[in-house]
Amino acid sequence: MSELTLERGLAALRAEIDAPTAAFFSSCVHCGLCAQACPFYLETGDPKYTPILKLEPLRRVWENEFTLWGRIKGLLGLQKKVTDEMLAEWEELVYDSCSLCGRCSVVCPVGNDLYAMIRKTREGMVQSGHAPEGLISASVRAITTGSPMGLQWKTLAVQIQHVESSSGLTVPVDREGAEYLVLLSSMEIINFPEYLEAITKIFDHAGISWTLSTQCFEATNAGIQIGNKDIAAELVERVVAAAETLRVSKVISPECGHAYTAIRWEGPNLIGRPYPFRVFHIIEVLDELRAAGRIKTEGKEDDRLSLHDPCNLARKSGVIQQQRNLMALVAENFVDLKEHGKYQWCCGAGGGVSSNERAEELKMAAFKRKKAQIEEVAPERMVTMCATCRTQLEEGLEAFNMEIPVVGLTEMIAEHLVERD
Amino acid sequence: MRKRSDKTLGESLRDHGLSRRGFLKLCAATASLMALPPSMAPAIAAALEQARRPSVIWLSFQECTGCTESLTRAHAPTLEDLILDFISLDYHHTLQAASGEAAEAARLQAMDENRGQYLVIVDGSIPGPDANPGFSTVAGHSNYSILMETVEHAAAVIAVGTCAAFGGLPQARPNPTGAMSVMDLVRDKPVINVPGCPPIPMVITGVIAHYLVFGRLPELDGYGRPLAFYGQSIHDRCYRRPFYDKGLFAESFDDEGAKQGWCLYRLGCKGPTTYNACATMKWNDGTSWPVEAGHPCLGCSEPQFWDAGGFYEPVSVPLTLGPATLLGAGAAGAVVGGGLAALSRKKGRDAAATRQPVTVDELEQKL
Ligand code: SF4
Ligand code: SF4
Ligand code: SF4
Ligand code: SF4
Repeated sequence: MSELTLERGLAALRAEIDAPTAAFFSSCVHCGLCAQACPFYLETGDPKYTPILKLEPLRRVWENEFTLWGRIKGLLGLQKKVTDEMLAEWEELVYDSCSLCGRCSVVCPVGNDLYAMIRKTREGMVQSGHAPEGLISASVRAITTGSPMGLQWKTLAVQIQHVESSSGLTVPVDREGAEYLVLLSSMEIINFPEYLEAITKIFDHAGISWTLSTQCFEATNAGIQIGNKDIAAELVERVVAAAETLRVSKVISPECGHAYTAIRWEGPNLIGRPYPFRVFHIIEVLDELRAAGRIKTEGKEDDRLSLHDPCNLARKSGVIQQQRNLMALVAENFVDLKEHGKYQWCCGAGGGVSSNERAEELKMAAFKRKKAQIEEVAPERMVTMCATCRTQLEEGLEAFNMEIPVVGLTEMIAEHLVERD
Repeated sequence: MRKRSDKTLGESLRDHGLSRRGFLKLCAATASLMALPPSMAPAIAAALEQARRPSVIWLSFQECTGCTESLTRAHAPTLEDLILDFISLDYHHTLQAASGEAAEAARLQAMDENRGQYLVIVDGSIPGPDANPGFSTVAGHSNYSILMETVEHAAAVIAVGTCAAFGGLPQARPNPTGAMSVMDLVRDKPVINVPGCPPIPMVITGVIAHYLVFGRLPELDGYGRPLAFYGQSIHDRCYRRPFYDKGLFAESFDDEGAKQGWCLYRLGCKGPTTYNACATMKWNDGTSWPVEAGHPCLGCSEPQFWDAGGFYEPVSVPLTLGPATLLGAGAAGAVVGGGLAALSRKKGRDAAATRQPVTVDELEQKL
């Protein structure tokens, strides 16, 4: 039976090296700004968490094998080779101390896309057998059961029943020719079932035709988080097949930031062809409905609310104004965190960190940035729109004994819909 | 009668009593200034000898005159001294003798006689078209209308100083006058940025010399700056760099580290993110430069340097820069990378071919 080895890891790293990668490594000026942008470095103060250092294995492969200087060094016996021990040591840096939040990429003065390169480095890590257990199990389960948490349709069916009986509405399933296919994340199904109820109510209110699919209901992509194209592509193919079966023209990603970037931005590249449908985050859809006057709300929240922008949505996808438009619809007393939108701070749990038990302590350390930001504006409640961020905010605030409830934006909108008579 | 600018540069320089030897020395200096090999000097001499002095109109808007001062405070007998002979400076607020209507008439006449040929040099930023035109006027005309009228038939525009190039101090938050840079306003003409607060005088003249010698504008970076002078960061050429690499940083301006000449990074040096020639050309005829004088680089040749965090804050992240500018800055790197990648394209193909897809079984073995 074949197995994951150092040779395969090196081959994968080699395969990841392209012109931008070469440009990035040759243009780094070692200014260290990326360290100042990374919550894992800032909150631990440990220089080993400097983003550019996390890329050392990839950088060495590039220098040794792709540059003239590296080859000369090789002839002189001066090359520093990438060894299995090195990859084992870097595993923590590449997975536990990086949420793929992309903040380092936006501050690098020479434009190095560090986050993208960490994603690339993970390709080599997986192939050499150096990925965290939590992510390996999640990937295996995603492929074998369809959900990284091992969830089956029957669990979702139970939630659907609850939603239907509490709302008196029908949750459409496998409805061919619907406009929207709604995808969920296991986390939403288990931890935040109110999200499904909210969508059901809002879509009914706005007269939207939509459906869930029994063929594929989950769009989080464990393959992207662990850093393996093969698994990631297979998971994307499943979504595409489901959407094609139901002939929908629009697909709504789960309220999970990384699922959104995976399906929206990486997906077509992974499978090597364009989608026959368009992909949206629910927040984008809601804002379009708002602009078209299809969402009528009444009453406003009067307590002081603030917003956590998910990295994948705000920084990596530019969905920034939409959530603020929606907030304005239902909140009277909204205050932005000081750094928000494109430059917001990561909650610390994304990019697979939350599925990696070993990273628990680092995850909480990184959260301290968010905590400090929240303390600064002292809101009575926090609002967000990503299941992973929401879980992390809830856990983090609790760990620090801060009594600030966290609510989902979609649910909040649903609560304010004008009742029909 | 021949127009003033019809004299060749050689004739003009000889009129000023410059010897043949002096002229060649000047050409050698020009070559080194433009990062050309010394063997180019004779070719430069020949080109300059024959070059017609182009008509130059120098417009000053919201500025402090520092850039003109920088140029004229140069040391004899160098390029700076002779710049006024290189070109036919037909209009310059500060330097010209004429005033009032005669001055404005000189500008219009220069524009008329040299249609499509003249260079416009601008220092200072401009209240944009949406700003109150009264914020800055010359002879009753707004800066904006003068600029647009003057550049219409220009061959190219040189934005001298950070105010003209990137908005500079007038544009610092909250930008009360709606100040904009030349490149914000002039879209249909080549615009060369020569930023710096002020720019190094030799860089200003170098750009003009390049134009005269080669008949075209120099190669520019993502910010429209000539690569010959702005191609390397201060940090890459800083003589304190060995200390930076060893992690030896001065922590205050008068500690032991400062006395030993250690790196000023922690005291706010913006050298790593600043592209300029200070570290190699130095100031005041090569006497010294800020970092050598013990002061961190402020990053004066970069966009939005007034708003990019405190001057004395270590590693202030210029979060105000948009992704477009960051991408622009990265583009130069991408070109380098592209070249490298081309070298190893075959290697890349081989690499992709040897990569093996991962299966669930293989992953499971690791659990
Ligand atoms: S911010 Fe960019 S240039 Fe600076 S050290 Fe990091 S990767 Fe290198
Ligand atoms: S992507 Fe975010 S977490 Fe990862 S290294 Fe960059 S700043 Fe740190
Ligand atoms: S003083 Fe500034 S320019 Fe010099 S090495 Fe230090 S950081 Fe670089
Ligand atoms: S040292 Fe820095 S701030 Fe000073 S002139 Fe040079 S580039 Fe400008």
